[in-house]
Amino acid sequence: MTSLAGKERLPREVVAMRVAKELPDGAYVNLGIGIPTLVSSFVPEGRTVFYHSESGILNCGPIAEEGEEDIDLINAGGQYLQSVGGMSFFDSAEAFAMIRGGHVDVTVLGSHQVSATGDLANWMLPQRGVGNVGGAMDLATGARGVIVAMEHTDRNGEPKIVQECTFPLTGKGCVYLIVTDLAVIECDGQGLTLKEVAPGWTPEEVQQLTGAKLTISPDVGEFEL
Amino acid sequence: MPGTPLDPAAMARRAAQELFSGAVAALGPGLPRRLPSQLPASGGVWFLADGGAVGIQGPESDTNAVDADGNTVGLLSGGAFTGVVEIAGILRGGHTDLAFLQPAQVAANGDFVHWTTAATPGLFAPGPAVDMAYGSSRVVALMPHQSQQGRSNIVERCGLPVDGAGQIDIIITDVAVMTVGPAGLELLELAPGWTVDEVTAITDAPLTVSSDLKEMTFDVPVLKPPDKIYPTAVDALRDVPEGATINVDGFAGPGGMAHYLMVGLRDLGVKGLKLISNTAGVARVSGFGTPNIIDHSILVENNQVAKATASYPVSPSASRPSAFEEAYKRGETELEVVPQGTLAERLRCGGAGVAAFYTPTGAGTLLAEGKEARTIDGKEYILEMGLRADFCIIRGHKADTLGNVVYKGTSRNFNPVMATTAKITVVEVDEIVAPGQLGPEEIVTPGLYIDRIVVRPSDFSAYL
Repeated sequence: MTSLAGKERLPREVVAMRVAKELPDGAYVNLGIGIPTLVSSFVPEGRTVFYHSESGILNCGPIAEEGEEDIDLINAGGQYLQSVGGMSFFDSAEAFAMIRGGHVDVTVLGSHQVSATGDLANWMLPQRGVGNVGGAMDLATGARGVIVAMEHTDRNGEPKIVQECTFPLTGKGCVYLIVTDLAVIECDGQGLTLKEVAPGWTPEEVQQLTGAKLTISPDVGEFEL
Repeated sequence: MPGTPLDPAAMARRAAQELFSGAVAALGPGLPRRLPSQLPASGGVWFLADGGAVGIQGPESDTNAVDADGNTVGLLSGGAFTGVVEIAGILRGGHTDLAFLQPAQVAANGDFVHWTTAATPGLFAPGPAVDMAYGSSRVVALMPHQSQQGRSNIVERCGLPVDGAGQIDIIITDVAVMTVGPAGLELLELAPGWTVDEVTAITDAPLTVSSDLKEMTFDVPVLKPPDKIYPTAVDALRDVPEGATINVDGFAGPGGMAHYLMVGLRDLGVKGLKLISNTAGVARVSGFGTPNIIDHSILVENNQVAKATASYPVSPSASRPSAFEEAYKRGETELEVVPQGTLAERLRCGGAGVAAFYTPTGAGTLLAEGKEARTIDGKEYILEMGLRADFCIIRGHKADTLGNVVYKGTSRNFNPVMATTAKITVVEVDEIVAPGQLGPEEIVTPGLYIDRIVVRPSDFSAYL
């Protein structure tokens, strides 16, 4: 374990780049806070993705330049956006009807824990006693697909992929893909399949840092970017 | 022979006497649609068209508004197009003072049959009448006293399946005015030239004659738009009672937040407030604003907050706690955490008169504890309750003097939803304009939801 703790992992940008590959052309996508926010910078050439934000905007533009910030044009992460053609504004009830009604194709979320059956726990750390659920439960339940983008282990080196979540749940069985700084793991609701590993890492090493049993895909390979 | 029955215009004028300044009135198909033509377009009353318009007027040709009969009608300067869901919410949510309907039959107990007739048994065609009747504070039946075959439309008991049970409060016909009370029908007014005996003879229900029986008159009332403009935030909020539930708009950052009203509430010092808001004041501690931006924290620090209902109640960083989190940890405030989409929908339902709804969000989590769960089509749902409030403070960009509001960009968020939920809704805007300056397709919050308007002073700073 100790030898793995210091071993080089992929930077956040590469994790985001790998997630971006998963977004289909023409998809309506909601990006959470953290690594997910970076995903928009890496959408492959030739693909168009429309971003939805709980702040009440569809077809969000890029992040605003410094000095160009407009308090009336933000995403859910509080970043100021550029004004672009084709964006639309709506109220919170509409923003969440889009999510709950299954009109958002993919959401990319960060997480504290993901379980072997795709349970997501990302809104509350029990030791703090209070948490911000924000739009996470609605996204986990309502989006047609939930991708988790996160570090493979927490800051104490403990696995974030676990057999059963010990933190309060955000949604049950909702995650279909986990992309970490070590691995790409598919989740079919029954178990986890290791599909890709970071360069220099073996499937066995990834398993050592994972709290749930991984089925190693017969065609497991290095991260495909 | 009795006198001549009244013509439809005279009936509409008598019906218009039921209106008052600032009233919201739903107009069903048939005779009720004649009301707007009998009144000057003063903005003193909001007529609803179930097709999706607020503020319809008499017939005109160059407009896209249609009334309940599908006729093209005019739109008041300051009227708005809303869509049918919003109209249904205005009705169901208790925002409508009066409904005018033309039932086929009304019974002595207030039951009514709307479009179903003896010729169409089993074919229910209530149209908008059911929502209009059940959603309005008072329901006026405006109808011919007799059918074309000479049968009484006023009956002891409806002979056809009813579209509304006990809903009618007053009946205005072409020969008389009657109220519906616990003891049955009371005859209040007679059309000119008619006697009690003549009316009784053509009525198939017992009538009690009022000791104050009058002849019908046809003067229409002068209706004026209520003055909604308040000089300062403190003036607009002076009657907020201790322990009030208050919806506070805003997403999380400085945009869409009624900073000036919030300072007014702080200056009034009223205690025990229960806030319903997306956050409990995080702009000062998150990346949204700057450390000295005004948010809910000014109320928390002034010991005014007893409870917050929020989706994002605390700072994103535990090492930079908000004023609310510190008060919560000291046991000074209560907290109810609600998923953001559920919060929005609870408000939407509260404002639209839907008591509760099933949502999949939160099923199987901590936030489902104590809530009714139900499996529908193989999926798990939980029951969430609609939310209403005593007061609501929202932030618009512009309002007209009738209370119509438009917003700016993502600062719309919870504002239009919250505006529908409170007994008193106060909006803070940058500018107040004349009716007509905000286009009917542009208006987001129709004026009937707004009770008070204040302008954020040009020298007001959103920073402490």
